[in-house]
Amino acid sequence: MKKLSYIAFLLLFSASVFGQNKLTNALYALKNNELDKAKELIDAAIDDSLFNQKPVAWYYAGNVYKELFKKHELKDKQSAYRIQSADYFKKSIDLDTAGTYQKSSKQNLKYIAETIYNHAASSFDVQQYPIAISNYEKYKSLLSFAYPETDFTEKDIMFKLALATTYSRLAEKDSINGDMYLDKAKKVYEEVLELDSNNVSASYNIGIIYYNQGVEIVNNMDYSLDLEQLNNVQDRIIELFKKSLPYMKKAYDLDPKRKETLIGLQGIYFSLNDIPKSEAYKKELEELEQEESMKQTSPQDVEMQEE
Amino acid sequence: MKKQITISLIFIFCVLTAFSPTKSAQNVDTNAKIKAVFLYNFTKYIEWPEASKNGEFTIGILGENETLYAELEKMSKVKKVANQTFSIKNYNSISELNVPHILYIPADSTEELNKAVEKLKGKSTLIVTEKPGLAKKGSTINFVIVGSRQKFELNKVNAKKHNLKVASTLEKLAVLVN
Repeated sequence: MKKLSYIAFLLLFSASVFGQNKLTNALYALKNNELDKAKELIDAAIDDSLFNQKPVAWYYAGNVYKELFKKHELKDKQSAYRIQSADYFKKSIDLDTAGTYQKSSKQNLKYIAETIYNHAASSFDVQQYPIAISNYEKYKSLLSFAYPETDFTEKDIMFKLALATTYSRLAEKDSINGDMYLDKAKKVYEEVLELDSNNVSASYNIGIIYYNQGVEIVNNMDYSLDLEQLNNVQDRIIELFKKSLPYMKKAYDLDPKRKETLIGLQGIYFSLNDIPKSEAYKKELEELEQEESMKQTSPQDVEMQEE
Repeated sequence: MKKQITISLIFIFCVLTAFSPTKSAQNVDTNAKIKAVFLYNFTKYIEWPEASKNGEFTIGILGENETLYAELEKMSKVKKVANQTFSIKNYNSISELNVPHILYIPADSTEELNKAVEKLKGKSTLIVTEKPGLAKKGSTINFVIVGSRQKFELNKVNAKKHNLKVASTLEKLAVLVN
């Protein structure tokens, strides 16, 4: 019996030493930039019941996978190493009740989140925008895990403006689903206004989407359209122009010197057959353009003219 | 392991700002297209005498209305009145005026209405105006705005004076004026 206990102790001791070696060796390999070896060792370590409840193991794992990401997948917008690294740092934080690795793990999560954020930003085109959406969500999720007090309002606004623009571009490219994309764009712009009711860009763009939808209906109208149908079309477009108006007016109130808004208001009122108001905005636009052209004339030019 | 973390510079702001949208309002005269559709419908619901059913079907604009002219030009390339192709004219003055099938008098040229009516007396020309009250002053069709919508007034007496037969369908859709 005594002998058996001794053997069991030896076995446990050697397992512990071997396990500890896996962890130490993984760290050693990582420091020597032998990433494949480090991965193999750390994968084995976190799979080992001796270590899978220890924050240090997951912390090392996070670092190994972060370096793998940097070495092999730095430009990969959907890098698996990066996600795995983040998961390991999160696991380390969860287990780290003593807080030994908390600060560093959080900083690492922040770094990872920011690379995902950058990849979200560079994915805003009509092909890759789903990557932008999912990466932005991942970014927020990781950063709020590490720093729950983070205020995302400003970034949410910028993200949503970019997303709505992408939907508008999709609408231009895909005439069959154009209205569906425009509805999505309007919804996202409305979300921006919920975050910042004085956002000029969102107000202007909702206005312009409604207005251009009305114009598109007119552009696509066949000349032989029956008069009764023409009345229905007029009802539809007037509804759109009227929906456009408060948004465009709000954009104007927020920034009366913006040319696009003046052009928009001129067009909306013209299409609503309110010619005096259309003319008033046209006049304002002309005055603004005149003002701008005066400003462009430099003092030197004036002096030369005087000579 | 307290490894120094290098935080990447966030460039997203520039990228997102670059995507911040500014799509312009489409520079389209929606009213011109709507009027062109009306005018094309008038050719379907109004009958000109047999003598006017040969040659080109002429729509003339008296004075300036570039957008309507351009719209009618576009229409003339894709539509016909029975076998008649469209011819779109622009008259700078009454003296240039011959006998078009439709004469459109824009609001800015309203003062020329009396002269046009006089010159086209008894001729088979549909005179179309766009200022309140003109259906009572010589035009057969007068565009009016009702609740932001384009509507039209019809003066059947004036139609008759120009030998034009108006279908009951058109009458039903018009604001009748005597």
